[in-house]
This record gives sequence, C-alpha cells and structure tokens, in this order.
Amino acid sequence: MSKTILCLCHDVTAEDVRRAVAEGYTHPETIKRYTSAFMGPCQGRWCADLVMEAIAEELGRPVSELQPTSGRPPAYPVRMGPLAGRPSDESE
Amino acid sequence: MAVPGVTHHPLRSRYEVVIAGGGIQGIALAYELALMGVRDIAVVEARWPGAGGTGRNGEMIRSAFASEEWARLFDFSLRRWGELSAELDFNTLFTTAGYVVVATTADEVAMLRDQLPVHDRLGVRSEWLDAADLQELLPAAAPDLLTGGVLQPHAGFAHHDATLWAYARAASRRGVEIHAQAPVEAVDVADGRVRGVIVRGQRISTPVVVNATGAFAREVAAMAGVELPTQRYLLEMIVTESLKPFLRPAVASLALMSYCHQTSRGEFVGGTEFKAANAYDDVVVTLEALRDIASKFVQLFPRIAGACLIRHWSGLVDKSPDLSPVLGPSPDVEGFFLDAGWTYGFMGAPGSARLLARWIVDGQPDPVIAPFGFERFASGKLISEAATVVPTEEAVEETQRDRA
Repeated sequence: MSKTILCLCHDVTAEDVRRAVAEGYTHPETIKRYTSAFMGPCQGRWCADLVMEAIAEELGRPVSELQPTSGRPPAYPVRMGPLAGRPSDESE
Repeated sequence: MAVPGVTHHPLRSRYEVVIAGGGIQGIALAYELALMGVRDIAVVEARWPGAGGTGRNGEMIRSAFASEEWARLFDFSLRRWGELSAELDFNTLFTTAGYVVVATTADEVAMLRDQLPVHDRLGVRSEWLDAADLQELLPAAAPDLLTGGVLQPHAGFAHHDATLWAYARAASRRGVEIHAQAPVEAVDVADGRVRGVIVRGQRISTPVVVNATGAFAREVAAMAGVELPTQRYLLEMIVTESLKPFLRPAVASLALMSYCHQTSRGEFVGGTEFKAANAYDDVVVTLEALRDIASKFVQLFPRIAGACLIRHWSGLVDKSPDLSPVLGPSPDVEGFFLDAGWTYGFMGAPGSARLLARWIVDGQPDPVIAPFGFERFASGKLISEAATVVPTEEAVEETQRDRA
C-alpha cells in the first residue's frame, strides 16, 4: 500500500494521501498543495482520477461529491521561447 | 475543513479579538496574540486559510530595501523567518539560498548603491556585487543585464502554503479558533467603538476587530466606516516544469521589473510587472502578462526558452498610495485595527504580526512599526521606498495617459 504510486510526476503514494487526510487536509485543493499531486508536468491529466479516488476513499465520500482542484492554464505545457516570440532552444 | 488547525466548532457569541481574514497576516497575528497570553481569539476566513494572496505569491524573502522604514521592518521579519520552523514545529522550507537585486542601468546602480550606507547604519546584512561577482553567482543569466547588485546571502525563499499551515496549526494548539467559510458581512460600530461583527448572519460581540482581509481590506474597512486608501491590484506568475538546478538565489531585476527563483524541486517560478494600469479586479490571467513574463525571463535566462511552462496564475494585492502596508489602529473607530495595504505581505508577515500584536496589547507602537500607521495619510508623511519592483502611481498614470 505504502508503495502504491498515484502520481508519477512527483511520486505521490496512496500512503501520502492517507497521511494528508489524517493531518487535516481534507479538500482536494489543499491535498494537492500538501502532496504536490496534480502539480507536476502532467498537471493531473495522468493522475487525477487515481488521486481523487484515493481522496474519496479516505474521506468516505463518493468522488462525485468532491470539488475538483483549480485548473490552471495553459491546457498543455507550452515552451517559454515561442511565448517570448523566440525559437525554443532545446540544446540545453 | 481543508487545512490543519481549522475548527469544526460553531462560532461563539463573544470573543476578545476577531481577526477578519485567514491569510498569513491574520493567522500569524492570531498566533502572536495567543503567545502574548490573549485568550478567546477567532480568525474568520471567507473561504479557506491561504485561498487568497498567501497561496499565490512568489515566496521570496529579503530585507535589503532602500528606505529605513522598510529595511527595519523587513529585517525584523527576516530574523523571525529564521526561527519559525523550529518554533512552530513545522518545516516552512525557508531556504537561505540568498536574494539578489540586480541593477542594469547607471540609474539603477546608483539607486541600489545608495542603500548600502542605510543597511550599514541599521545593521542590515547586505553586500555589493559588481558585474564579475554577479556573473559568478548567476552563471545562467545574460551578462548584459548584470551591471551591479545587492546580495543578502542569508535571505531567500520559503514555501507559502507550508508557512501558513505552520502558523495555523501552532495557533490552534494555543487555543485560537480558525473558522473557514466564515466571511465578515458587517462590522458593528457604535459611539466610535467596535462592538462586534456579523459573520454568516450571526452576531458576534468583540471589543477588537482586525482587518487582515488582503485584497478585500478596503471593503471590510468601509463596513466600519473607515475609508482605507488602498486599491486591488492584479499580479501574475508562472511556473515551469522541473529543470536541472541552474539558479541558486532568489533574483529581482529592476530593469525587467521581475522576480524569480528556482524551487528545491527544480521548478522555475517567477512574475513580472509592467507599467500598465491594471483593469482587472478578479483573479484572471492575461495573455499580455504571459508574453511579458516569457519574454523577460527568456531574456534574463536564455536557456529557459526550451523549458515548458506548466501553470500560470494570478493573485490580488492591496496597494496603498506609497505601496507600504497600513498597520495599527484606525483613526476614528476605537478597537478597529488594520493589517492591510500589503504588496510584500508574505515576507513581511512574521515580523509585522509580532509587532502588531504588541501594538494591540500594549496600546503603543514599537518604533519599527510606528511609521506604517494610518495617520501618515493625514500628516503627509508617506514612506518613500524605491527598491520595489512594483510600478509607482506615476508610472501607472503615465501609461494610462499614453493609452488614452
């Protein structure tokens, strides 16, 4: 259980979610901020269903009753260079 | 409810102190008051603790400002930052990676150099860096922007949410009641004195109300009949995916009106300001700011042109006419205190909370906090702080004229 990874970007485990709820983070938005799930390069596109299910299980409520976290633009990651009107240099 | 320290109990009908606003200001103040032995303190937060500017700011911390008033207040705060994790029994992730303010033009160099005698006199630790020093400190930065700078090696950044949770948990352990989803709807004033507040339709009597409502401070002050000369102002920031470490200290650039740092997870976080009137009154994000942010940071750190931006968000600050916080009693309503007008509120909170708590309990201001009182608007003794990266009123008006 403790090694069940829910968020591949930041290695957030099922145990991390359980501990967050036990500490008093009981809203998906604050669980996001505490565990950093949803905050990696995938921005929740990969992990959201798994993390929300784990939160729902810990809270003993259906996923449909949970308020989702605030979505932030951009919808997909964008390179800084093109936004700045310059070519992106990927040589780094 | 949402974060540790928030109470599940209903609001009581009377408190000794009611603090409106559950951001870093309000909750740190509640903690400091409790530490001084004040009992029956309630924090009433309209949403959840940290939902406003506290969870949205750039997390950077310094005390090397140009004016004596700011340098003293923020240096006191910087010292508090070093104590917090141990004192609050919670890691705020305060990191003394350094904070450097960079000048590009001759005028900026002169302005920054002028600070150094002030810092020396006040015992504020800072050092001058020339172009070669800066290139060594910031190897990834464009050398043409690095003419000179002021470094504080013991300043840096912290985690904004962790700091709030640390204070909230410590305050609740000392008996402070933190109520979420509890907006102040009215302030009851009679015969020039605060009598209570209305929260969720319920009347609560209290002799002391503190207005720590961030971007909503003007409206909440108006409920008490106090005219607060502040204005909501939108700031926008971005974060990239995690990158190989390339930037150690926090950096503010005067020429680019920007500030940034790289987190311990490797994300590059930053925001910029531009000389434009800010027409937005809500937490929106704009393409204009996004382009400004991307172009300035690609100019400062050319290598991040290939980095992916993953989030763009905004927050609101409460801008006063001299950009300085408005702290202490309000002029005409006894018992109604202000903890408002903050644009550098995250870094200032640990210091101001302690000094404001003393002011409320003792009835007299410490000399470090006294210049930030409300009466400066009547006396005309406004604070002149030059080393901020926020557009001045003149710059904003100039742009408005240009646009018109």
